[in-house]
Parts: sequence; structure tokens; C-alpha cells
Amino acid sequence: MKGLIRNNFYSMESNLMVSFIMAAALVFSPLIINTPTVYPMIIAVQVFLFVVNTGTALHADEVAKWNKFEITLPIKRNTIVGAKYITFAILIFCGLFLSSCTAICINFSGQIWNFSSILWGYEYGLVLSIISVSLMYPIILKIGTEKNELVLIFSAFAAIGLMCLIAAVLSPLTGEMNLQHPLVGMVSISVSLLMFIISFVVSVSIHKNKEF
Amino acid sequence: MNRNALTVSKLTKKYEAFTLSNISFEVPQGTIAGLIGENGAGKSTTLNSILGLIHKDEGAISVLGSPVEELQPEVREKIGVVFDGTNFSEELTPKKLNKVLKGVYRSWDEEYFFALLIKMSLPAAKKIKSFSKGMKAKLSIAAAFAHHPKLLILDEATSGLDPIVRDDILDMFLDFVQDEENSILVSSHITSDLEKVADYIIFIHEGRLIFSKPKDELLESYGIVKCGEAQFDMIDKQDIITYRKQDYEWQVLVADRNRAKKKYPRTMVIPATIDEIMLLYVKGENK
Repeated sequence: MKGLIRNNFYSMESNLMVSFIMAAALVFSPLIINTPTVYPMIIAVQVFLFVVNTGTALHADEVAKWNKFEITLPIKRNTIVGAKYITFAILIFCGLFLSSCTAICINFSGQIWNFSSILWGYEYGLVLSIISVSLMYPIILKIGTEKNELVLIFSAFAAIGLMCLIAAVLSPLTGEMNLQHPLVGMVSISVSLLMFIISFVVSVSIHKNKEF
Repeated sequence: MNRNALTVSKLTKKYEAFTLSNISFEVPQGTIAGLIGENGAGKSTTLNSILGLIHKDEGAISVLGSPVEELQPEVREKIGVVFDGTNFSEELTPKKLNKVLKGVYRSWDEEYFFALLIKMSLPAAKKIKSFSKGMKAKLSIAAAFAHHPKLLILDEATSGLDPIVRDDILDMFLDFVQDEENSILVSSHITSDLEKVADYIIFIHEGRLIFSKPKDELLESYGIVKCGEAQFDMIDKQDIITYRKQDYEWQVLVADRNRAKKKYPRTMVIPATIDEIMLLYVKGENK
């Protein structure tokens, strides 16, 4: 497992570096942009920035035939898939870490900031990231990695759509369709975590039946 | 006790435009078996079925005593695999590959891996994407050897290598099977390589097994009868495996060349190379 996770990170090393530079640059954006309404979006983008690399990395592995070779390794197929999901989780944590740096920067810049709006930035970023990878990986596994960018865009839009749907369903409880309501955020994160688990089970099943 | 490293029995795999049909052969422990056949004959389908990369439709495959459907990580640990081209992420360097595979194989021998890199003149710190085809093939072979497998399965592993490196690799193969415990199944277009190292030749043509025979039997018994049309007509059809007409000469593949020499004294009977046997089977006509 350790070797597989290591390989996943090596495969996207150069892309990760670009993501890191972009996310790190955004950490200091509150020092320049004095618009608190933008901060939640900056945080959400930072959380999401790292997982966008997964499609490219999966494509590179397919081109290099690593995805075929790894099946011959002394590991079970659910371990191969599990390593991918752990990688996704680590990438999301990387995003969370850098977005936390942004929150600290906002705090130290002495600006007035709204806790609930910053929290919404995290919720939005997390839901976007978790649902995107949860949809993207099984789809890519099924149809191949050639259209990975398209699948990522579709998955990201599906994540936003799902969040809107949850907000609509919960509107009788929240008073109106409010994406930033804490209840919408909590339910959205719970749903996305559930989707992450279901996605893993589905991916294992696809992988076991897939011919390489 | 099972003395076969690999047993393939009545393997069948059906695709829309191609069927691998009823393939059976064995690779005894301590031997090298060469899988030959033209492009699209079914060699890779056979190897992929053996490795569990594709699901067979019929038949049975036993790898190191385990059915392929139940290959546990402990058994896979003992199998080294090399595919044609790259096997690894191109962003890796051999050094990083070592770290990856060290975390996968329990029996990974780091020291041996780096010794093989030096032996094969491979830079440890350069990205694989900057390697030539031959270098990539060498790296794959080094990685396959570095966890001390019992069975090596190689798909066109030597195809991108120059003759000198190929010779070194073939010597490695011979050393590998010296202890009579280790075995190799290698598919190759370069039949001269197989003539040098293989103990058995498995020939697949259009998805069907033509033969699986000891190499020595092929090289010592098989022959080509070269003759004219009149002499060809006199050859007993039972003796003809396959034949081919080239300009004014007829070439007839026979299983027993010494017998053919005595039976048809007015013809020229020469030993057949594996390349010629393959060519006559693929391009020749049946009696």
C-alpha cells in the first residue's frame, strides 16, 4: 500500500508543485485583497486545487501501463483502489492545510472576518473536492482516462448541482434556498462522505471486473 | 508434487474479432519456455490470461501451483513480470521506483536492484521519460529480477535491446534457471534469442496452439525438404506438415528430417530453424 501511495504522488509530482505554488500564493491574498466576501471562495479553491491533478495522474499511469503492471504486484485489487482513495484524501488534506494558512493570514491581517462565511468556504471546498473525486475515479476507471478533463469538469458541476439540490430539499428547514446555511453545509459534507465510501465500493467492483 | 511452474489447460478467450482457442501447455520448473507467433496470434492474450489481467472464458491456468483466479499476494510475490515498453510511471526515476517497489514487495532486494542498474548502465537519478526504449526495457527487467521471483513472465522483453545487451540479458535468464527451481515464460519475435535459451517452444498461430515442444526436438528432428514440383508430388502426404512454393522451388516442412533424407534421396533436406518453422506454418499451405 505504502509503495502504491508513493507512486501516486510521484506520478503527479510536477503538477502538485504547480498546485502548491498557486495555493501558497493564495495564502497571502488577504493581504492584498481587502474583500471579505471573496475569502470563502479563496479557501474553497485552495481545498480543491490539489485534487484537480488526479485525472492527469491517472492518465499518465494509463499511458505508462502502470495501471496494468500494478495488477501483477503482490497486492489485492481493493488495495490498489484503496491506495487511490487514500491519495485523494491526502490531497484534500493538503488543500485544507493551505487554506488553514489562509484563515490564519486573514486573522493576522487584522481584517474583520465572518466565521460562518469562512466555514462555508471550507464546506464548499470539501464538498466540491470529495464529490468530484468520488464521481471522477469510477467513471475514469470505466471509460478510460482519455477524457479525464471532461470528466473532472462534469464531476465538479455535479458536485455544485448536488449542493444546490441539498439546499433546495432543506429549504423548508432553512427558510429559503440558502447554500451558506450551516445545515446545508453539514448535510452536504455528510452526503459527500457517504458518496466517497460508495465510490470506493463501486470502484473496487469495476476494477475487479475490468480487463487490462 | 507439482513440478510445473505453469500449467495452461484448454485456455479459451473469445473477443468479437478474435478467439484464443483451446491453448494447452506446461512450463516445467527450471526451464525457459518461448512463446512464438506472428503479431496478433494471441501471445499477449495468453500471457494476460496467465497474469489474471483478463478473464478467460474457458480452461484452467495454474501458476506456481495456484489457480489463476485465486492468486494470493504471496504467490504474486514470486512472479516477475515485464511487458513490452514501459511498465512504470514516466515521472519516476529508478531511485524513486526503488522506493515504490520496496513498499510493495516484501522480498525486494534494494542492493541487487542498484547493482543491476549499474550492470545495465542505467542512471538512477534520471526520469524514466528521458530513457530510450532499450533503457526502459532494461529497467523493467532489473525490477523483475530484484525481488527474486520464482517465475518470470516476459512479453517481448528483449525487443528494444541491441544485440550486446540482449546477449547479457539472455545470460541472466540462463543463470536464473540454473538452480532448476526458477522458470521463465517469454514471448518474443526474436526467435534466434529463443534458440539460444529456450528449453521449450510454444507456437501459437491465429489463436490456436500449433505445437508445444522441446526446442531440441524441433531443431534436431524438424527439417525442410527442398525440391522441384515432380519430386514434391512424390512426397508422401503423411510426411508433409506444411509446404510453400517459392519460384521454382518447393519447401516442405517435415517432422523427421533423417527419415526424409533416406526416404527422398533425390531431394535436399536441411535442418529447420525456429524462424523457418514458424514462417512455413504461417505462410505455408497444409497438405
